Amino acid sequence: MSARGDDGGAGTWVGRPVPRKEDPRLLRGIGTYIDDVPEPRGTLHLAVLRSPYAHARIGAVDASEAEALEGVVAVVTGADIADLIPPFTADYERPGFKVSRRSVLATDKARFVGDGVALILAENAYVAEDALGLVLVDYEQLPAVSDIEDALKPDAPRVHEELADNVLVEGGHGTEGFNEVFEAADHVLRERFRVNRVAGVAMEPRGCLAVYEKSDDAVTLWTGTQVPHMLRVGIARCLGWPESRVRVVAPDVGGGFGPKMYLYPEELLAVAMAREYRCPVKWIEDRLEDFLTTLQARDHVYEVAVAFDGDGVVKAVSVDALVNSGAYSTYPMGVGLEPFQGPLNMPGPYRFRQFAFTCKGIATNTCSTGAYRGVSAPGVAMAMEGMMDRVARRLGLDRVEVRRRNLVGPDEFPYVNVVDQLYVTGSYVECMNRALEMVDYEGYLAARPPERLVDGKYRGIGVAVVTELGGQGAARYKARGLSDLPGFDTARVELGPDGRVLATTSFSSQGQGHETVFAQIVADELGVPVDDVTVRGGDTGASPFGTGTFASRGAVVGGGAVMRASGELREKVRRFAAHLLEASPDDIVLEGGHAHVRGVRQMRIGFRDVARAAHGLTESMQLPEGEEFGLEAAATYDPEASSVSNACHIACVGVDAATGLVEVERYIVVHDCGRVVNPLLVKGQIQGGVAQGLGQVLFEEILYDAEGQMLSGTLMDYMVPTALDVPTLEMEHVESPATDNIGGFKGAGEGGVIGALPAVACAVGDALAPLGANVNRLPLRPDTVLGLIEGVGA
Amino acid sequence: MTGVGELPETRSVTLSVNGERHEIDVETRMTLADCLRRKLGKTGTHLGCEHGVCGACTVLVDGRSARGCLMLAVQANGAEITTVEGLASRGGEWHPLQQAFHEHHALQCGFCTAGILTSMVEFLGENPDPTEDEVREALSGNICRCTGYQGIVRAVLDAAGRLRARNGAIAP
Repeated sequence: MSARGDDGGAGTWVGRPVPRKEDPRLLRGIGTYIDDVPEPRGTLHLAVLRSPYAHARIGAVDASEAEALEGVVAVVTGADIADLIPPFTADYERPGFKVSRRSVLATDKARFVGDGVALILAENAYVAEDALGLVLVDYEQLPAVSDIEDALKPDAPRVHEELADNVLVEGGHGTEGFNEVFEAADHVLRERFRVNRVAGVAMEPRGCLAVYEKSDDAVTLWTGTQVPHMLRVGIARCLGWPESRVRVVAPDVGGGFGPKMYLYPEELLAVAMAREYRCPVKWIEDRLEDFLTTLQARDHVYEVAVAFDGDGVVKAVSVDALVNSGAYSTYPMGVGLEPFQGPLNMPGPYRFRQFAFTCKGIATNTCSTGAYRGVSAPGVAMAMEGMMDRVARRLGLDRVEVRRRNLVGPDEFPYVNVVDQLYVTGSYVECMNRALEMVDYEGYLAARPPERLVDGKYRGIGVAVVTELGGQGAARYKARGLSDLPGFDTARVELGPDGRVLATTSFSSQGQGHETVFAQIVADELGVPVDDVTVRGGDTGASPFGTGTFASRGAVVGGGAVMRASGELREKVRRFAAHLLEASPDDIVLEGGHAHVRGVRQMRIGFRDVARAAHGLTESMQLPEGEEFGLEAAATYDPEASSVSNACHIACVGVDAATGLVEVERYIVVHDCGRVVNPLLVKGQIQGGVAQGLGQVLFEEILYDAEGQMLSGTLMDYMVPTALDVPTLEMEHVESPATDNIGGFKGAGEGGVIGALPAVACAVGDALAPLGANVNRLPLRPDTVLGLIEGVGA
Repeated sequence: MTGVGELPETRSVTLSVNGERHEIDVETRMTLADCLRRKLGKTGTHLGCEHGVCGACTVLVDGRSARGCLMLAVQANGAEITTVEGLASRGGEWHPLQQAFHEHHALQCGFCTAGILTSMVEFLGENPDPTEDEVREALSGNICRCTGYQGIVRAVLDAAGRLRARNGAIAP
């Protein structure tokens, strides 16, 4: 029976484009990002001395001159703190994994440019930086390796000498009967795709402030993280402290995108130094440090083979994935994330039944890599969609028709794909059809001359159909052996004595708008206006335990927990209200901040009066029999399956024949993330994701030279898209609610980037197809594209 | 230039920030952004790159946009400075740009927002009735990593209309 209104219908807040509750403070400039957290008196500023070499043995460190500088409190080397902070690891001791350890400051050798060697504590950040230049380190430079294929050679320099080779993780799997089906197929196409290394480039660099609390012998760490609870677990474990002595708080965080879901050496150093020196310790990185040391992503090679019949029906797919893992494994995801997630995302929306993969994560003398929006899915989507186009070209079929013959159709849900991923609902064909209509696909093709050259530009169109896995819980993480990711999340919802609601969750926000979307969910569940709901999170001292914000899990898992807790609280409110109105709880309707008896609106009581009674703030005892004081409920949520969103992205590009510049002229998205909580925010997620995807396709690239020196350490060298590079998206939504999770929601954080790589790469491939150009590597910068045009066409 | 080990030189400067006059001593090497943030508590101005590319630290110096990370505090001596904290009216009423940013979801993490707002205040002052292309051109000096710019472009165009209406201009 519904408690949400006399119409018994859905709530009034979920589904509405409610402007964000976060905005007022951020627009007025009174948000609190990490560098804005008030510094307690006596705060010391920490700076990290970083190796200028990609691979070097560390000899004597002479800190005397730095220590003599006025304002410098201490210079600390790796050797000084070897006992205080033991080497940490998140390599899982599972078959195929080699365990590598990382010292927070290198003791034996530095393994990438930027690896910490010593730290300075000084009275202010300017002096700390001055002192960096005064520390003399005796480095013995060693041969370095930055490229994955070089790192696999038998005589390659070994990043971790104690390991047999540079392969940190390897795995693979094939379906039964793969070889027979593959060999029996009419056609086989092979291609090698190279996916560029990129960086998240959150606009707020990393930073932290560790405050020593004398009375408790504890440290509060303020840090710009996506996962406060995971950090507390990791820090306490690494330092051997009880968790009660560590509190982690994420204030406003200026962008996450994945790289901020890791425990970094600087956080351990700040916490340990704060306790060691009994004072607050602050570290704020600059942009160069961000490029050198914040986790990067991609840098993959995919060898793909597709076997198909004469109708373009794909029978079997294989992929061998090589992933550049960088110098060290990372906590809490470990080194297996990108290598395994590539192949497992490869089937996407397609229904082929034979699949085989191998994957390797390879250590090099470069920054570590890991989670960045979409993880490996954007790259494998580019490979898979690239193969669909190649199949079409080989057979002389239209590529939309080829996709149509391979997509999971509308009547096939629920569908379990070739890697056992359940697609409970979806709209793969529907989204594609609508996107084709929006772009007028037939019209586009008909209007284009055969050589595709119009006004000096080759015109091409790319169609990408993609899936996005999100909202994962314990079952999915445990299947991957991720011991340090719990999977569930938690919400506590309270109706305070003033009749207003506070929801506290295990999530923290980096711009997603949780304060707004969680409030919408609470508002519907409890029948209160959204303005009466306050949402908090991000503080292990105040928020219930849970996993945190990444992998498009906010709405599904966080929203699910909020929904469950609110639902429990709703029933309690109804029981109290029923008692006060002398009615049956079953007849109580909650609406607009009031409780009333169904059908008798004049028999009503405001939430404030219910809440005062429930908190003992009344003249007489008004506790219903069997009830306890207080109005709050806490609940966890742990979805069994991943949510699977889907979308069709279509890009129309013009490739300048003279300069090789790719311009995206139109961009269409038809997107399905199940039940939409807030269309304004979902749109924002897609637009932002597409922009990041366009950046990766068109110009972003972290470059290292053969010695492991970074060549792209500024925003002049590493080009992220500006307002001139991102077109206006034409977007529509389809809603296929998830039926296997509580809210019907599916993740929406990563689909934008997953669709953008294949859509644009396929469009450029289409534009240059008459020239026979093979688009199989990113980014498609003008020089690369010009090479494709001239190399083949000239 | 301060040598290593010497105390950096300090100077007394007078800054008017959002209409409030401040007389302070600053190290000659301190950037304007650091001075605003650390000396005057105006932490709404953010540092995203400290090499003049991202635009997050943009403030108005005598009405002209300037990178707070590329300007020294001493260079701003005697100047009138507007930061994001100074955009709303004294009574707290939002600037039309702030209102439009809220309605068009033109911010997500909000870190770049202050610099975009100040840049757009200057831009709309010079070009009260811009085209979308002109807005995009004007925005290209500020990086936003979250939004894909679409909401920002809409918001700026919308705010331009509100400002024209407020200033009594006749919209074409």
